[in-house]
Amino acid sequence: MSDVQLADWRNHALTLESEVNKVVVGQQTPIRLITTSIFARGHVLLEGDVGVGKTTLLRAFTRGIGGGYQRIEGTIDLMPNDLVYHTYLGEDGKPHVSPGPLLMSGENLSVFFFNEINRARPQVHSLLLRVMAERSLSAFNTEHYFPHMIVFADRNQVEKEETFEIPSAARDRFMMEIPIVVPNDDAIMEALVFDTKFHNVDALVDTVKPDVLQFDELNAFSSVIQNSIEASDTLKKYALNLWKATKTPLDYGVKVSGVDMNRLVLSGASPRGMSMMLRAARVNAWMNNRNAVLPDDIHAVFHSTIAHRLVFSPVYEMRRTEIAREMLSGIVNAVSAP
Amino acid sequence: MTKYFRVLLLTAILSTSSQQVLAIDSQTLPDVDEGVVSINTIDPYKRVGYTIGDVIEREVTLTINAPYKLIETSLPIVGYEKRYRGKVIGIELKNIEHSKKEHKDGTTHHIKLAYQVFTNSVVAKNVALGPEYLNLINTNNKKQLVKYRIPSLDIAVSPLSIFGQVKVENNMSQFLEPLLIKDDQERKGLNVAIGVLVLSLLALLYIFGKHAWLPRMGGTFARAYRTIKKLPNNEASLKKAISAVHLSFNQTAKMSVFNDNLDEFLKNNPNFSHIKYEISQFFGLSRQVYFEPNAQHSVGNNPIQWLLKFTKQCRDCERGLIPTTNKTGV
Repeated sequence: MSDVQLADWRNHALTLESEVNKVVVGQQTPIRLITTSIFARGHVLLEGDVGVGKTTLLRAFTRGIGGGYQRIEGTIDLMPNDLVYHTYLGEDGKPHVSPGPLLMSGENLSVFFFNEINRARPQVHSLLLRVMAERSLSAFNTEHYFPHMIVFADRNQVEKEETFEIPSAARDRFMMEIPIVVPNDDAIMEALVFDTKFHNVDALVDTVKPDVLQFDELNAFSSVIQNSIEASDTLKKYALNLWKATKTPLDYGVKVSGVDMNRLVLSGASPRGMSMMLRAARVNAWMNNRNAVLPDDIHAVFHSTIAHRLVFSPVYEMRRTEIAREMLSGIVNAVSAP
Repeated sequence: MTKYFRVLLLTAILSTSSQQVLAIDSQTLPDVDEGVVSINTIDPYKRVGYTIGDVIEREVTLTINAPYKLIETSLPIVGYEKRYRGKVIGIELKNIEHSKKEHKDGTTHHIKLAYQVFTNSVVAKNVALGPEYLNLINTNNKKQLVKYRIPSLDIAVSPLSIFGQVKVENNMSQFLEPLLIKDDQERKGLNVAIGVLVLSLLALLYIFGKHAWLPRMGGTFARAYRTIKKLPNNEASLKKAISAVHLSFNQTAKMSVFNDNLDEFLKNNPNFSHIKYEISQFFGLSRQVYFEPNAQHSVGNNPIQWLLKFTKQCRDCERGLIPTTNKTGV
């Protein structure tokens, strides 16, 4: 694919960003990260308080990507089969089976939106784990494939009642976990409250230009990006050092206030996690019109691709977000390149 | 024998009469007629500022016309303490020199009086030298005794020190050593000039020095400068040079400095703000050499030479100096 095509796709990506930025204001960084994730073909988990716009953000992206879109709400009584099929008694009085959200769009499924994922049971997480990793599902004696599917999920960490912690194996399937926080800008906060266009979410999302991207070409183009954007030996060594530092931060002089660093990390970033980080870094380089990955590209995606993969001692899990942020910042500050 | 007795008797009579004259209080005698005595005095020019121990000289020349003559025993007596209203005034005659010259119409007496001050006060006060009363006798009528008054001379006695004064150098006492012209200001100026000269020399040494023997010398960029200076001009050296500069930045910031946290670095190290453009050029060069060979840099065709200059600029920033900037490549 020529540089012209790379530039053409970049324009599409920037258009998508621009469209989403119109409806979700003050979230430029999360929007850039989600765009990066789409082109890196990675699943996205949004984390934040209630009512900060996580669902609106994902719906806006879904509209821009195009393709089949399915959505399911996480509830405590949701079972894995609810994602696959739906049974009911028909007008003829006989039981009928219809496809569930995962199967309904077939191979055209481009976005599977799992709202409040942490309300679902571990059984559901387990099913999702396979679908996310392999983009396939066995049902009705048939193997179903979802080659274009990206899972968007959100969770809030405020409520702990009737929720289930997403296991680290499931978290690791997500390319990024992106925190969504309320913007600090007073003008934006005022607009969110008083501007009536933000009151009707459906109407707001409908203003996003549909099908900005061609969902069924994203996989192929993603490969092009990964093959076109180079990573020098110095960059590889730098990434490797970052990886090692996530496992043994103390070796790199990284400390977190109020934390026993010898006990903190049970498991650092996984190889899958690091490869996802490099995929995202390549996309970030492409988005910034570069032909090679720089440390800056890694920094841009380091927190969002690594923080949720770290496994801490249970005693520190309650402070996971804060500790992970401080530790990863310490790693970036400690590891040099070249 | 008779003659001898007569002489002896005359002597006794004269001495008795002399004692009688001495016993006479001069002030009770009538004044001599006007025109009999003429007086001329040479008084001291200084009339004020005398203090205890000072000797004041006064010369009096009296011309006494005949038939009057001075009774020399009435001349002031050395050591006599003059009193005023019963109190010693503190002016004492220290010495007297008397000479006379007789001529046809009378006698001229030259009297040199030396008074010494034996008083002092916390404030200046007036005292008088004299008056002195002299007795004259009419040689035509030995019973006629008169007095002549040598007028007094007013002077002021000043205290040894100003009342309440603490700084002794402000007193004008002669007991103090002479006050010299103060050269404090000149010495101060000289010291400042010497100080400026020394600092200037140190500054020159600091700017042009290449070794760690002054404070804030031998910093991390100074070391990088020395390292780069020794490197040959080839591709491997360029990588080493860039790496050395990166290391210097990291050590200065105490964290890894990248293109995306340059603003934070400059905020924490404002000395380097002067070469913000050059730093961005350096990161552009580093990007091209280490990460993106197809990228362009703007440091010219001799990157090592440019790095040498850049590191020197960084060294100046490290020392708190303002470096000369050069926005063109080498």
